[in-house]
Amino acid sequence: MITKVKMAALAAATTIAGLAPGISYAEDVNVAFFLQWPTPNLIAKETGAYADSMGVDVNWTDFTTGTAMTEAMLAGDIDISYSQGLAPFVTAIQQGAPLKMVGIAVVYEANDCFVRNELGIDGSNASELEGKTVAVPLNTMADYAFRKYMDHYGVDIDTMTVVDQAPPDGAKSLADGAVDMACVFGGVDTASAAEVGTAIMTSEQKREANIGSFDVITVTEKFATENAELVQAFMDATAEANEAWTGSDEQIQMVADASGMNFDDTKTTLAGFVIPTVEDQKNNFFNENGDAAAAAASLGLVFSESDTDVASTIDSSFLQ
Amino acid sequence: MLDWLSDNRAVIAAIIIPILVLAFVWSIYYGRKQDRLTDNDEVFGDPVRTKGGWYWAVCGVSSLFLIWFYFSWGVGRAYFPEAANNMCQVAKLEESVGPIKASLPIGSRYYKSTLLAGRNADQLDELQAQLASTPFTDAEKAELAELIDQTNTLIANSSDPANMSDATREELSGIAVQIIALSQFLDAGPVNMSPTPEALAQPKWGTTFTEIPILPRTEKGVLFDTAATQAAEISGAFNKIRNQSAANDSLIEDTQARIEALKEINESGDFDEATLAAREDYVKAVERIFRRLDDGLIFPAAALEEVNDAVAVLDASASSAQGSLRIADALFFPGPGIVKSATQCTEQGSARWLPKPTDVVATFGRLANPDLENGGGYRGFPLLWWDWVAVADVVAFFVPDWIADVWPGEYARHGSDGTIEPNFKDKLLAFATGDVNLGHFPMLDGHIWDSLFRVLVALGLGILLGVPLGLFMGVSKFFKSFFDPLIELYRPVPPLAWAPLILTIFGIQDDGKIFLLFMVAFAIMVISARTGASGVQLSKIRASHSLGATDRQIMWTVIFPNALPEILTGIRIAVGVCWGTLVAAEMLAGTTGIGFIENIARTVSDYELIWVTILIMGVLGLVFDLIMRWVIQKTIPWRGMG
Repeated sequence: MITKVKMAALAAATTIAGLAPGISYAEDVNVAFFLQWPTPNLIAKETGAYADSMGVDVNWTDFTTGTAMTEAMLAGDIDISYSQGLAPFVTAIQQGAPLKMVGIAVVYEANDCFVRNELGIDGSNASELEGKTVAVPLNTMADYAFRKYMDHYGVDIDTMTVVDQAPPDGAKSLADGAVDMACVFGGVDTASAAEVGTAIMTSEQKREANIGSFDVITVTEKFATENAELVQAFMDATAEANEAWTGSDEQIQMVADASGMNFDDTKTTLAGFVIPTVEDQKNNFFNENGDAAAAAASLGLVFSESDTDVASTIDSSFLQ
Repeated sequence: MLDWLSDNRAVIAAIIIPILVLAFVWSIYYGRKQDRLTDNDEVFGDPVRTKGGWYWAVCGVSSLFLIWFYFSWGVGRAYFPEAANNMCQVAKLEESVGPIKASLPIGSRYYKSTLLAGRNADQLDELQAQLASTPFTDAEKAELAELIDQTNTLIANSSDPANMSDATREELSGIAVQIIALSQFLDAGPVNMSPTPEALAQPKWGTTFTEIPILPRTEKGVLFDTAATQAAEISGAFNKIRNQSAANDSLIEDTQARIEALKEINESGDFDEATLAAREDYVKAVERIFRRLDDGLIFPAAALEEVNDAVAVLDASASSAQGSLRIADALFFPGPGIVKSATQCTEQGSARWLPKPTDVVATFGRLANPDLENGGGYRGFPLLWWDWVAVADVVAFFVPDWIADVWPGEYARHGSDGTIEPNFKDKLLAFATGDVNLGHFPMLDGHIWDSLFRVLVALGLGILLGVPLGLFMGVSKFFKSFFDPLIELYRPVPPLAWAPLILTIFGIQDDGKIFLLFMVAFAIMVISARTGASGVQLSKIRASHSLGATDRQIMWTVIFPNALPEILTGIRIAVGVCWGTLVAAEMLAGTTGIGFIENIARTVSDYELIWVTILIMGVLGLVFDLIMRWVIQKTIPWRGMG
């Protein structure tokens, strides 16, 4: 009996010795992403293509806000944020956070502002919005879109009562008639606001007025400096996953599973996404005076008096 | 005056800190002396023991402020006002050398080459082990095994110093020489260096949105700034060096061609889907590892040693060139120090999220400035000020609009000449909607007042309705049994759980927020009044009854006074909880209020603003509590004596 135990212990010890590596070469890379935000690259997350391409373990952590992503990056828990909103990125840069924008994750239509149907206000008589009450989730991309719309129509925001409301609350207040206009984001809340209101700008008008938004891929400066080849491999794997995207039902199902959504919602959301290719990013976003720098700069002016040069945190060297 | 104070906040802190230290030391000395005087006469547990002792309050407050000053780097800034700027320049050098250090043991334990070699060799071994179970033909398997071997040879060749080209060797030693030259430059010290006028004109540390002035303001700073520029060039050159050994060139070409050949077989072959996928995946995996190795990123360890040593010399020079700055950094700047990012230098560690006391006061001053045109207030609304309120608006609040609607007749219409003749019905509507001039009266205004107003109204309603109900529940079977289930059902529900309902029922105005706070205050008041009433000594009630007191007299003169201690304690608790719920209430539909400011500040991580709101709420809560203590002192001085 005793011999048996001893033998077992010996065997266990040998196994452990055999498994234990002399040096741990493998580093972990921590990536932040959003659930409910079905980007095609999630397929690469599911199949392990990221880990294969980077040659290290990749840990994915889901977040609910871009601000939380920034906080986690500053605390050193996250190295790469996939699809962080432009607004939280720019405000983080203004606070001096050592972050970099290395790519565009997804381009999508600007968030909508819905006017209550009874008011009969649309683009043609938008000046009637002056003096009205509007629900806006302040300091988000919806806030940015709201200011852009009002600017486009020449409506003076100072005359309006701006109420800070999260999208679910804003949609509800619009339905109750407590507010005259609600700016919201997210599939569910946009749908319920659309039930009782009309978007102040149609998709086409938004395109014409050049009001759009995009999510970015951000990394900490420290990680980009020390592990440039891992960032490169991450970007390559992303580009590869985006190229492999055909929009087939099978792929959509995979993305739906990875982002915790159902098939139909995923399909609808994906229909509104444009995933820019590497070439497109280089030529239209990251070129001199490109969209990335322009949008970041105009966003920066909206939210604070800071004169931080956001453009200098844009790094196109990983787009190859 | 305010600007002058704001600009000289470091000097002000330098005066305040010694005063705090003195107060701290003196209060301990004085407190111990006082304690010794009374030590022998006092009985442990006697409430009188806790009377007085303001010097211990001084001790507590001054130690709190000292800790705050220290961890927010307030002490550091007060006595080393140029330290942050200098540390920023040092951080610039650190940032520039970063890319070199990251690939050397001095920065990251292992050579990056070691990690690359180890990691990829491991993965090649794994592939080798999987090879047997892949759907390749035997000939292809042999070919793949050879490819894996060749890739391994690639690692071996790169790691062998003998294979290194002379050009690469020279490039690497060139880097080492440049680094040594840089460290000598640092050793020589700031000779003929002076800060530019532009740098000297920068706003001081912490006085603007950009925390730390980025251009060097001292000679030492210029030295490090110049060194950082040079180091950035060296880093750039170092990053471009590749270890292209002649031994690998043919090997790379050969491997590449053979991988391509395999890929072609995959494409042209007639395989079923699963087999094809497995074959493609495997070849891709081999190619991926090969691609990581073909661009000459692995260097022999021996070849990098020189650079590693040179960086060590540079580090030593940099730290000796810092001189006294290092001691100041270690003693007065807790945390990881200052980090240079692409756009600015920022404080890291506790100073990142804990603003300096003087900065908080300055931010408070900026918010409290009622001059909205010149940057005062927050989002176009003062913090606490007064404004003229139209009497008509107040009247309109109480007069419902439908009175005008039900009045007989029609509203006026514009005549054929475009003019409008208002009739009585129109005037009534104008009256009901506040559209008339009835004069104005001054009223408090601003974020603090709005929050205060909500709390006070909610608390007032809670007391007015909760105390009588609680008292009756304490004395009446009907009230107790009827209301007990209702109150106990809603009381444990957290206020935030009501939030979605409140919005739908009350809308976005003040009434919803007040109702939310009222729910909190009401439950506490009912419970405390009931406990107070039911805890009255029976003998007192019987005594007054036998002396001929009526029910009303028993209630007013016996039960109510005896329940008062519980009720007042209840109010104290309710005030605290109301302030606690305020942030949640103002999150519902924020337009004004302290909680609103905090919610907005959170979305942009503005820590100064967050702390200002926290402190405002803390101070208001404290003031309330002091008032309540005074009330307790005045109304029930006999508490605990009976």
